[in-house]
Amino acid sequence: MKVLLTGSAGFLGRRIARSLLQQGVTDLRLLVRSQPPAGLVAELQRDFPAAGIEVVSANLLLAGSLPALLQGVDTVVHAAAGMKGAAADMFANTVVASRNVFAAAGAAGVRRVVLISSFSVYRTFELRRGALLADDTALEPVGADKGPYGYAKTRQEHLLAEYRRQFGFETVVLRPGVIYGPGGGALSPRVGLKVMGWFVSLGGGALLPLTYVENCADAVALAALRAPDGASFSVVDDDLPTCRAYLRAYRRSVQRLRVIPLPRFAFRLAAAWMLRYHRRSKGQLPAVFTPFTLRSMFTPLRYTNQGLKALGWRPAVATAEGMKRTFAWLRQQPR
Amino acid sequence: MRVAIVGCGKIADGHVEQLRATGRGEVVAVCDREPLMAEQLAVRFGIPRQYTDLARMLAEVKPDVVHIATPPDSHLVLGRLCLDAGCHVFMEKPFALTEAQSRELLDHAARLNLQLGVNYLYNYEPPGLELEQLLASHALGEIVHLDTSYGYNLAGDYGLAVMSDPGHWVHRLPGKLFHNVLDHVLAKVVPFLDDELEVQALAFRRRDPIGSDIVDAMPDELRFMLRSGQVTVSGTVTAHARPVPHQLKVLGTLDSVELDYTARTLVHSARWAQPSALGRLFPAWVQARQYRRNARRNLRLFRRHEYHYFQCMRVLLNRFYDAVQGKGPAPIPPEQILRVTRIIDRIVAAL
Repeated sequence: MKVLLTGSAGFLGRRIARSLLQQGVTDLRLLVRSQPPAGLVAELQRDFPAAGIEVVSANLLLAGSLPALLQGVDTVVHAAAGMKGAAADMFANTVVASRNVFAAAGAAGVRRVVLISSFSVYRTFELRRGALLADDTALEPVGADKGPYGYAKTRQEHLLAEYRRQFGFETVVLRPGVIYGPGGGALSPRVGLKVMGWFVSLGGGALLPLTYVENCADAVALAALRAPDGASFSVVDDDLPTCRAYLRAYRRSVQRLRVIPLPRFAFRLAAAWMLRYHRRSKGQLPAVFTPFTLRSMFTPLRYTNQGLKALGWRPAVATAEGMKRTFAWLRQQPR
Repeated sequence: MRVAIVGCGKIADGHVEQLRATGRGEVVAVCDREPLMAEQLAVRFGIPRQYTDLARMLAEVKPDVVHIATPPDSHLVLGRLCLDAGCHVFMEKPFALTEAQSRELLDHAARLNLQLGVNYLYNYEPPGLELEQLLASHALGEIVHLDTSYGYNLAGDYGLAVMSDPGHWVHRLPGKLFHNVLDHVLAKVVPFLDDELEVQALAFRRRDPIGSDIVDAMPDELRFMLRSGQVTVSGTVTAHARPVPHQLKVLGTLDSVELDYTARTLVHSARWAQPSALGRLFPAWVQARQYRRNARRNLRLFRRHEYHYFQCMRVLLNRFYDAVQGKGPAPIPPEQILRVTRIIDRIVAAL
């Protein structure tokens, strides 16, 4: 069974490649935009000598190059996405690229498409404090109010559903929370933001929906190979810390920060003021937070990974160990 | 006025936002040959109609003005189509690929008595507007020399897109990376030049190769020298200097000024008016006072909500729409647009 993995050079993608091989894939095609990270393929080939691993490069925005790469592929794991840049660039690299992948996969008769989505697609605005965010929580209908990333990921999921209906391929969707680990970012916006030399702590006592990058990759590989058609999973680890506890551990282990905790009522006022000022000043300052994004992102929720556990997934790296490894790596990075 | 946008990439956001801020027109439709890109711009900004066919949009929507924000190799064809439909056109830079294309477009607009503007926005930054006043009052005397510098961060969002994609349209431009920014560099100096020009230029790649023939063929450092009669210009486009520069020095026979477009400051060059070492104590204080004056001006603009990142584009759009409505002259005269593209042709030929 040949598996094609897009975004193979990425933070998560390179771990997914290893997890797929660990879970029995013997014919793996790694798709990268230009070149794979140095040593990646050699290391995989060394650790999995019986597997056939090939690297192909393509720009997913150029649909013409994809049909040849999908020949003979049984399953596509689509991890490539635009993670930064202007809104239009993020949309192009996430949605237009995905449309090309889905269309080419459908035309090539691919059996299954596995999409790496995001927590940002969930319609969390209506959830009350303490509610459970589950695999079947409703999705945003459009997502434009969630900002460029949330909008692009939401449109990407809706597009997958459209192409599933058109071509009839199987689909599996994984929606990770905050993916962390060596090589990743330091502090999620859910924890807070750096502003003019200060760190404004926003998350407070809310749980931080972490998933260690290797655990997340294992979940993707397992779901790709074993989940039933049409399944979708939110991906979080066990023993989630609060945002406050994560920040405390970060400050202790990585970097001293001057922290301003922003109480929730002050955050609400600030978000409302930001939106008002943004409108009154005709966009002189961006509305970094709005009452909508505040409620969507910062309402304290509970999370579950029971769907994945029913498949047999267990987070191999405990959260305490994951944070330890991540902080050790971050400590060595130049600041 | 009814306005349409063609080309729904990232710069289209700026056109919609700034046009809305001016209140001079309503964006009624967007068009992109990629339907998803047209959709995303329409959805994010609540624009009612979206198209993938420009001719159809022009026929159905009948806009008064079309903003063209596509890559420059399409500007000639799209510009002609819009002008033929009776629309005024506001063009994103680079205006066109060559002087010949620019001339064709400008002549066509003139024949049809339509406005054809271009987004040479930086002359309308606060220091650019202050320079405009100084020049109008002849406070600098005759202009002797201009030094213009512009930085380009290849590690930034746009630079990464160019560096990681050999198929990016920038690689198809005759002057590659420089072709995409020279409009900004030259638009500031062409008002001081005439059409008799000497041009010298050199360019090279300073970064290490990455193994892509197309990407590695793109130079990233440019120096050029222009002479037009008694006026000379030196220019720098750099991808490596930090902080990323964006400056202009104007040396006149009476006074000289230095403009920093990033910091939004204009300061007159220091004068050494007092003798001896004691006299050299004063200029730094005088300069400090000038920076304080700039800071107060910027704060005033901020409080009036006239300090947006693209405030300069708002000023330019207001003047362009004044011209469209017959309330003022074209903010950038056609001969200056032609001169910019002619100098780019000459610089590219000299490399």
